[in-house]
Amino acid sequence: MNIPEGILCSKTHEWVLEEGSEVTVGLTDWAIEQLGDVVFIELPEVGSSFSKDEVFATIESVKAASEIYMPVAGEILEVNEQLINSPELINEDSYSAWLVKVKPSNYQEDTVGLMEYDDYKDEVQ
Amino acid sequence: MNLLKEEKKTSLYSEHIKLGAKMVPFGGWIMPVQYEGIIKEHNATREFAGLFDVSHMGEVYVRGKESLKYLQSIVPQDISTLEENCAIYCQLPNKDGGLIDDLIIYNVKGLEIEADYFIVINASRINDDIYFMKEEAKKFDVEVINKSDEFSMLALQGPNSKFIIQKLGVELLNQPKFFTIKKILLDDIPVLLTRTGYTGEDGFEIVFKNEYASKLWNDILSYKSTDGVVPVGLGARDTLRLEAGLPLYGHELNEKTTPIESSLGFFVPKDKKENYNGRDIILAQKLKQKPLRRKLFAFIMEDRQIARSEYEVFIEGNKVGCVTSGAPSPTLGKNIGFCMIEFQNLPADLVTRLNNTQESLGMTIQIMVRNKLYSAKLTKKPFIKKNYEK
Repeated sequence: MNIPEGILCSKTHEWVLEEGSEVTVGLTDWAIEQLGDVVFIELPEVGSSFSKDEVFATIESVKAASEIYMPVAGEILEVNEQLINSPELINEDSYSAWLVKVKPSNYQEDTVGLMEYDDYKDEVQ
Repeated sequence: MNLLKEEKKTSLYSEHIKLGAKMVPFGGWIMPVQYEGIIKEHNATREFAGLFDVSHMGEVYVRGKESLKYLQSIVPQDISTLEENCAIYCQLPNKDGGLIDDLIIYNVKGLEIEADYFIVINASRINDDIYFMKEEAKKFDVEVINKSDEFSMLALQGPNSKFIIQKLGVELLNQPKFFTIKKILLDDIPVLLTRTGYTGEDGFEIVFKNEYASKLWNDILSYKSTDGVVPVGLGARDTLRLEAGLPLYGHELNEKTTPIESSLGFFVPKDKKENYNGRDIILAQKLKQKPLRRKLFAFIMEDRQIARSEYEVFIEGNKVGCVTSGAPSPTLGKNIGFCMIEFQNLPADLVTRLNNTQESLGMTIQIMVRNKLYSAKLTKKPFIKKNYEK
């Protein structure tokens, strides 16, 4: 598993990576480790918009369903279709198995409270 | 002052930590929910063998001149026909027919232990059960003794279980048959060995003094490479019992619902003569002389959504009840569950259809998952074929 350079993590375990005008959003390895076997991921529709901290997706392990919060406001440009049929990919590597790509509407302000990966790791451990 | 009640630990707590188990609170105990992963543990139990620490469960001795008469007065089942060394699945109703617990009663008169009957009860119900059983015992020449703190209990489940028991010193022909109990030396440890379980697989439950817990646990797990046995947590215990169609107290069973309403009518005899708590309503419902107020159904989701406990259930647009348990079934690759449908306020013709097994099977219901309705079909339980060795 490769932790991508430059990701920012939220206290609710989402990560974001800015690449040009797009932001990729996923879940941290620590969060996935806590969930255990992932059996279902519900992703939003392309073109829908979410505000910061709004629930935009759901992830289900064998035991429970968990909501996923949008770390940066914006419009959904792309969803990772692979995860719909093979949700277990996220157990293998939750960085290559990203969730959505977003066109952010307020990136600078929305990322103020996010942490670099090492700080996030300290926070959760 | 700290009034928080600390969770109890079983004698195997440090073994679970050593194995890297994820620990969670359950029924007043801190228990392993998973070791390597729920799906892996579930499949290993169905294919090879799974070892469960079920030491949190309660054990009760009943003894005295009137022990049979006493048990006849507290369970719907007929204990008078329970032969020595045999077990029977029972319920413990209150005066209104609702369930205080479900339990397994063993006739141990032939085992030279200090009891006539040995009873295994749910961990979360120990205090309520013991209080109720002792109150009821006042009318009889009988003693009810809570042995829960003295004993540890392991469940070894799955097709390879019998071979592991054999390697630990009990030949196949000498092993207890389905739903019977033996007092025996296993791995040089004095145990009560029963052919029972909560997974739908052939297997054993093993009761013994706490001091032997680590030895027996590790000796059984030493057959991992030869027999594929793995430690299994509460997560897979739940998916295994759900597939096998077995109820869990607090979900499918509660103090307001009779065994007939919880779809346990199969276990309630029509012809037991003795009176027992709740008999009026339980027997009348069994004989269809009194209507059911609600009924438990098994369902399979038609969509990929997973119905979880307490999600709302709808039929033809009307809210009719709630999911009691729900999970993905690793064996079926579908999402399954139980729901309790309330019959009050339902149209009479719908109740008639639901009460008719043939008509209710295959009926479509909807379940509310995150504010959207998804279809499921009522089905028969168990969800899988049981693999008991009888």
